[in-house]
Amino acid sequence: MAVTAADVGFDLTLTDEQELAQRTAREFATEKVLPHATEIDAKAAIPKALLAEMASLGFMGIAVPERWGGAGLDTVSAVLVMEEINRACASTGVVMSVNNSLVCQPLLRHGSDTQKERWLRPLASGKLLGCFALSEPASGSDAAAMRTSAKRDGQGWLLSGTKNFITNGASADVVIVFAQTDPPKGHRGIAAFVVDKKTKGLTVGKVEHKLGIRGSDTAQLIFDGVRVGDEGLLGEASAGFRIALDTLDGGRIGIAAQAVGIGRACLEDALAYAKEREAFGKKIAEFQAIQEMLANMATEVDAARLLTWRAAALKDRGEDHVMAAAQAKLFASDVAVRAARDCVQIFGGYGYLTEFPAERHYRDAKITEIYEGTSEIMKLVIAEELLKE
Amino acid sequence: MALERKDADASTTVSVVTVGPARSRDALRQALAMGCDDASLVLAEEPLSDLAVARALAKVALETKPDLVLCGKQASDDDQGFVGPALAEVLGWPHVSMLTRLVPAEGGVELWREVEGGHEVWKASFPVLGTAHKSEKEPRYPSLPGIMKAKKKEIPERPVGSLGADLGGPRLEIVALETPPARGGGKILKDGDMKAVAEQLATLLRDEAKVL
Repeated sequence: MAVTAADVGFDLTLTDEQELAQRTAREFATEKVLPHATEIDAKAAIPKALLAEMASLGFMGIAVPERWGGAGLDTVSAVLVMEEINRACASTGVVMSVNNSLVCQPLLRHGSDTQKERWLRPLASGKLLGCFALSEPASGSDAAAMRTSAKRDGQGWLLSGTKNFITNGASADVVIVFAQTDPPKGHRGIAAFVVDKKTKGLTVGKVEHKLGIRGSDTAQLIFDGVRVGDEGLLGEASAGFRIALDTLDGGRIGIAAQAVGIGRACLEDALAYAKEREAFGKKIAEFQAIQEMLANMATEVDAARLLTWRAAALKDRGEDHVMAAAQAKLFASDVAVRAARDCVQIFGGYGYLTEFPAERHYRDAKITEIYEGTSEIMKLVIAEELLKE
Repeated sequence: MALERKDADASTTVSVVTVGPARSRDALRQALAMGCDDASLVLAEEPLSDLAVARALAKVALETKPDLVLCGKQASDDDQGFVGPALAEVLGWPHVSMLTRLVPAEGGVELWREVEGGHEVWKASFPVLGTAHKSEKEPRYPSLPGIMKAKKKEIPERPVGSLGADLGGPRLEIVALETPPARGGGKILKDGDMKAVAEQLATLLRDEAKVL
């Protein structure tokens, strides 16, 4: 009798919809994103038309239900799409990832129907672009130490402070921002707000020059007495920190998928080059030193992908995915950085030139070990989960 | 090309149908995800002759009574380009091949086809059949919301034998399939002066290549 997936009880088969989403994303990434990746990096800008086309295909709100303007797929589909886009261009990948994971998801999970109607619908359908403003000049990993304040003022709030390193900060239309409402309460005094970026008093400060993912903008946002009504408060006034952590748990799965995409780019580009390039009268792919690098890359990228899929599947089933997401991000980002290093090495001198993609992967990979929780924070999260009673 | 018509006129219904094995469902699902209204599969697990396929499709066309039937210009395996024109013959409809564009016209449709150095424009009343060369536009990607909409649609399936079409008739059999012989390497004549090289070349062309 034939063994079915149900007998095995462990099935890595994608559904028809997930497979179709992956195929669409792969074809789109290969035909429409990859040919522009070098230029996106060099000009530090993503063509507006490219983002608009991604929005029309439903890439900006993949796991948001159709009733709120999203594509209505699941987290597994989202990571499949993210791997494909990031395989072509990590800058484009992060713009999409932030809008999906860090903006749409908290609105979906914590927003009121009125907030979903006003903000989630246009964000999920890609008519508007969002950003997530948590980090500050003096607080990154230690988010609870934030200084941005939200003071009660009549019927609303007045927000003041500076947010740093905000992906999409310059180009976004909508900001999810975190502020301290009650300093003595520490992280229990933090609130989350959804703010129209055109609100008076909210300005874009310095736009950063970065090592990698140069096509995505990273900016400082300055809040100078920005008035936000109660309709802008996301969840309870005391729930902001919880919302931030929750959101980042999901976001990490997206960054893990980005790292898998970059790792795969390194593997595919290095493999193609090694089969072409000759040295000492034969293809360099015939040398065991090169084969070892390729074999490690392939194995590690696969392992990273499986961890990422597991975290996504747990999230889709509504199960605890804090540790799985942290493990996926920790491992996948490490894999991406190592794969990028070996990719440059296999390309040799050409790997150091901007004419070839290897050096872009090398620069892009590094950020995955830093944003949405550094590798050090991932280890703290994993250890905390291990040690908890 | 069909979906472009639907973009221009939302009252257009685009139905897709294929005769083939169960795995053809993937292609139908993709067509639905791209925006087609409905899809159906005529199941034929064993390969049929091209004429039988055309007869089966004719039965479907007579049931659904479309204004316009679009077929691909040729199969990617045998490259015969047979089924579309054969279907038109079985139906007794006019057909125009290698279309690049459709333009609505009074009482029918303008059918544009590519010819050497320009376009040829035909006009036909309905019903009519065309085989599509390639549209001026790239085929669209199935959007993610489209994939979810397609998921909700049933793809009805029926065995090809249930249509009452004559599935007999002549069959072609591929007797042999060979890759062309590898080209031999060229020769570069460089010994001696120009006169000597010319003599060698003439000798080789006469004795080896036998073209002189």
